[in-house]
Amino acid sequence: MTSDERLVAGESPSADEDTLRAAGFSPVRLLLSNEFGLIVLIVLFAAIFASVSPAFLSKFSLYALGRTAAVNIMIGFSMMVVIVTGGLNLAVGAIGVAAAMAGGALMQALGWPWPLAVAGGLAVGAALGALNGVLIVRSGLHSFIITLATMSIFFGVMIFLTRAESYRGISAAYAGFGRAKLFDILSPLLLVSVGVALALSVLFRLTALGREVLATGANERAAELSGIRSDRMITFCHALSGALAAAAGLMLVSRTGAAIPSMAGQLGQDWLLPAFLGPVLGGTLLSGGRVSVLGTFLGAFLVTMLTTGLLLMQVGAFWVQTWLGLLLLFAVLVDRARRSYLVRRKLA
Amino acid sequence: MHARRFVPTALAPTALAAFALALAAFAPLASADSSSRIALVPGGPHPYFAAWEQAGADAARDFDLGAADYKVPSKWELGLQNQMLESLVTQGYNAFLIFPGDPVGTVAIADELAGTGAPVMALAGCLKDPSEAKFCMGTDTGNSAYLGTRELLGNLPEGAKIAHFTGFLVDPNTQLRIDAVERAAEEAGAEVVQVIADIDAPEPAEEKINAYLAAHAEEIDGIITTAWVPAVVASSALRKIGDKRIKMVGIDHDEVVLEAIEDGYVHGTMLQNPYGQGYIGAYVADKLRGGCEVKADAPFASNALTEKFIDSGTVFAGVDDVGDHVASMQAITKELFEGFESTYLDC
Amino acid sequence: MNGARAGGLREGLRENDWFGPLLVTLAAVAIVTALNPAFLSPFNVQILLLAISVNAMVAFSQMIIIAIGQMNLSVGAIGGLAAIAFAGMMEVWGVPWPLAAVLALGIGLLAGLANGLLVATTGISAFIITLATLSIFKGVNLGITEAQPFYEIPAAVKSLGNDTFLGPLPWLVLPCAAVVLGLWYTLDRLSIGRAILAVGGNAHAAELSGISVGRVTVAAHALSGLLAALAGIMLVGRLQLGQPTIGDDWLILSFAAPVIGGAVLSGGRVSVGGTFFGVVLVAIFTQVLVLFSIDPFLVQIVLGVLILWAVGINRYREVRSRRRAGTVVT
Repeated sequence: MTSDERLVAGESPSADEDTLRAAGFSPVRLLLSNEFGLIVLIVLFAAIFASVSPAFLSKFSLYALGRTAAVNIMIGFSMMVVIVTGGLNLAVGAIGVAAAMAGGALMQALGWPWPLAVAGGLAVGAALGALNGVLIVRSGLHSFIITLATMSIFFGVMIFLTRAESYRGISAAYAGFGRAKLFDILSPLLLVSVGVALALSVLFRLTALGREVLATGANERAAELSGIRSDRMITFCHALSGALAAAAGLMLVSRTGAAIPSMAGQLGQDWLLPAFLGPVLGGTLLSGGRVSVLGTFLGAFLVTMLTTGLLLMQVGAFWVQTWLGLLLLFAVLVDRARRSYLVRRKLA
Repeated sequence: MHARRFVPTALAPTALAAFALALAAFAPLASADSSSRIALVPGGPHPYFAAWEQAGADAARDFDLGAADYKVPSKWELGLQNQMLESLVTQGYNAFLIFPGDPVGTVAIADELAGTGAPVMALAGCLKDPSEAKFCMGTDTGNSAYLGTRELLGNLPEGAKIAHFTGFLVDPNTQLRIDAVERAAEEAGAEVVQVIADIDAPEPAEEKINAYLAAHAEEIDGIITTAWVPAVVASSALRKIGDKRIKMVGIDHDEVVLEAIEDGYVHGTMLQNPYGQGYIGAYVADKLRGGCEVKADAPFASNALTEKFIDSGTVFAGVDDVGDHVASMQAITKELFEGFESTYLDC
Repeated sequence: MNGARAGGLREGLRENDWFGPLLVTLAAVAIVTALNPAFLSPFNVQILLLAISVNAMVAFSQMIIIAIGQMNLSVGAIGGLAAIAFAGMMEVWGVPWPLAAVLALGIGLLAGLANGLLVATTGISAFIITLATLSIFKGVNLGITEAQPFYEIPAAVKSLGNDTFLGPLPWLVLPCAAVVLGLWYTLDRLSIGRAILAVGGNAHAAELSGISVGRVTVAAHALSGLLAALAGIMLVGRLQLGQPTIGDDWLILSFAAPVIGGAVLSGGRVSVGGTFFGVVLVAIFTQVLVLFSIDPFLVQIVLGVLILWAVGINRYREVRSRRRAGTVVT
C-alpha cells in the first residue's frame, strides 16, 4: 500500500491479520462473528420497532423497507468493490445518476425497449467507472482526489446534457417492477440485489479474478511480484463499481417511474453515507484485501431498517442523519477496538 | 430551540385562526369523524408551506379530525418524500395531501397510498395524469404567472425586455410558469430575454440574481418572479440598486416583498392561497373518508398536467392592497369553501 | 534548498506555488475585461470580493488539513452548524452579535477538536472520521432548524456582510485578509506551523525529531473547524439569513482551491498564496459564466477538470523534484 493509500485507511491492520493468521486464529471465524452480530442487531431492532409500533411488521411496511434496502444494498456494493482494492470511489452517486439518466434517455428519447436501455445504462456506468480506474492507474494519484474530480465532471456533463430535466416517459413495464409485489411483501428489486450479492460472493470466493483482486488490495507489491496485474485489477474494480452504481440508479428509476437528475443529491453526494455505511458495518476493511458481501448486504439492510424505524418512532426526519453519523462512528470505533483487542490477546 | 416559521405579519396567524372559526360556522354539519388522520406533505422545506401547518391545526380543531399534521421531508429529495410517505402509512395516517416532489415521480407513491384505501389529493402542485389522486387543488400557476406578467407589461413601454426568475425544475409548476410568461410577453409585444430557474433557495438565488443584475441590469426593463425566494432576493436587489427604473412583479406574501411594494421598489405581487389549500384540503379529505365521493361530472378545470384541477385562487396585490392582503385571500378561501361540497362532492 | 535559487529570481518564482496562479489570474482578468468591461464595474468587483472572502475561508479550512496529509469532509457541515448557531442565538436568545459570533466560532473550534481527537487517539483515518462527523454535524443542524432558516439577522450583521467601506471593498475582505496574513505567518514563521508541515511531509521523521503528531493533528483540525465556522458566519451576514443549507456545496471548492494552489495531498506542502489565488480563479470563472450567459452547469465540469489538471501538475512537480534529489519515486 502506498503512503497515499494510508491517507484513507489509517493504520494498516494487515500486520494484525498476519499475526492472527500466524497465531493460528482463523480469520474466517472473525468474519463470521461480524455477520452474525449484524443478524442479531437486525432481529433486535426489528423487535424494538415492532413493539413500539406493530404496524412496522405490516406487509406494506416490510415491502417498502425491502424495496428501499435493495437500492441501499446496491450502493453499498458499488463502494465495496472499490474499497477491496484499498481505494475509494466518491463518484458513486454521480455515476449512478448519469447512468440512470442515460437509461432514461434511451427509453424515452430513443424509444429503446427497456432491457436494452437498462443494458445501455449499465454500460455507461461501467465505462465511467473504467475511466476512473484508468485515470487512477495512469496518474498514480490517490483514488480520493481522482474520484472527487470526476464526480464533479460526470455530474456536470450529465446536467449539461439533460439540462437538468427529468425523463418522465419511462416505459410502463419497467416502472411496473418498482411497484410490483411478490406475495404481497417482496419487491423484485430486492431479489435483484440478492442476485447481485450471490454473484459477487461467487466472484470473490470462487474465481481466480476475485482472489487476485483481494490480493491486490491486501498487498499490492506482493501481488505484483506474484504476477498479478494490479493495474488491471484496479480498473476492473472501478468499472464494476460503476456498473453497480448504475444498477442502483436504474432501480431508482424503476421505483419512481421517472429519471430525475436530483435523485442522488447535488453531485451525487447523498449516496456517500449509505455507500460507506454498508461495507463498513459489514466488516469490509477500508485498507483493502478483505471483503464481506454478506456483511455489506446485512449492514445496508440494518441501516435502512434503522432509518425506517427512526422515522416511525417520530424521532423526526430531521434527526435521522445525526443517528446515522453516530452509527458510522460507533461502528468504526468498535471495529478498531475489536481488532486491537484480538491482536493483544493473541500476543499476550 | 425551535426555528421560527416565517409568517406574513405578526397578526396573520391570529387573523387566520379567527377566520377559520368563522368559516367553520358555515360548514354543513361535519361528521365528527375523529378517525381521520390526515397528513399534509410538501416536497421539502420551503416558506410557502408554513401556512399549511396552521391550516392543518385549525382544520383538525374545527372539524374534529383525528389529526391533520404537517410533515415535511428534511430535503427537497424525492427519495426522502417517498420514505416519509411510506412511514406515514405505517404510522396510521389515512389521508394524504401532497405537493409532488416530481409530477411524474410521485405518481407511483400516490397510487400506492391510494391502494391502501387512503384518499390522496395533490395540493399546490399537480401530478401528471393518470394517477389515483382525487383531484389537484392549487393556484392556477400558469394563469397567475400570465396575469402577473400582463400587470408588469402594462407598466412598461412596448417592446420591453424582461427577465424571469422562477423555481425548482422539479416543481411541476415551473414549466407552466415559464410557458405562461412567454405567452404573455408575446401577446404584449415584449421579450423575455432571460429565464433563470432552479433558484428557489437563498444561496443560489443570491448568487445568480445578483450576478445577473450586476452584468445585465442595464439591458432589462422589468422583472417577473414566479417563486417565493427569487421574489424576495430580487426585491432586495432592486432596493440595493435604488433607482426604481426596473419594474417588478413578484409572488407570494413575504414581508420583504410587501415592504418593497409599499416603498415603491416593486410594482406588486401575485398572492397565492396556501392556507386555503391546506384548510379546505383537510376538510375535503375528511369528507371523502366519511363516504362522500367526488362527482364524476364535477366542473374541474384543466392544466398541462391534469384534467381534475381546482383553482385555489390568486389575486394581484399592488401598493393599495398590500396592507390588507390577508383579507383578499380570506375572501377567496371563503368563497371556495362555501361552494365546495355542493360543487364537487356527492355526499 | 539553495540549489533551487541557483537560477535566480525567475527560478525561485517558478518553484514558488503562488506565482503561477497569480499569472493566470491576471491574464484571466485582462481577457475577461477586454471582452466585457462590465466585469470591472464597482458592483461586479464588490460581488467578486464578497464571494472570494467567504470561499477563501473554506479553502483554508481544508488546506490546513491537507498540510498534515489528511482530509476533512466535514468542513461544510461545521460551517453550516456554526452559521445556524450564530443566527439562532441572535434570533431566539437575543444574544448580541459579537458574542454570538465568538460563540459560533467556539462551536467550530470544538467540532474541529472533536475531529482531531478522534483521529489522533483512534488512528482511524480522518476520511472516515470526518465522513461520520459530517453527518452528525449536519444532522444536528437539521434537527435544530428543521430545515427552516433563521430570518432575524441584526442590521449590523447584514451591513457587515454586504456593505463596502472604501469604494467597492466590502467589509468582509478584512477578516479574509487577516486570515491570509495570519496563516502565512503561522506556516512560515511559527513553530506550530512548521510542525504541521513536518507532520504532513513525514510523520515518522517528525515524531522522531520530537514533534507530537497527535497534538499537531488536534491543533490542525481545531483550526480547520474554526476557519469553517468563520466562513459560515460570514455567509450569514452576506445572505442575510441563517440558512441551514450553508456548507452543502463546499466539498469540491475546499479541495479545488488548495490543489490549484499547489498543495500536495499526501501533505507537507501547501501554499497560502496559491490557495488564495485558486479561490480567486474559481470565483472569476463562476462569474464569467453568468456574465456571458453560458450554462452555469459548466462550473462543475470545469472545477473537476481543474482539480485533475492541478493534481497532475503537482504530482509531476513532486516526481521531478524527488528524481532530482535522487530518491526513489513510489
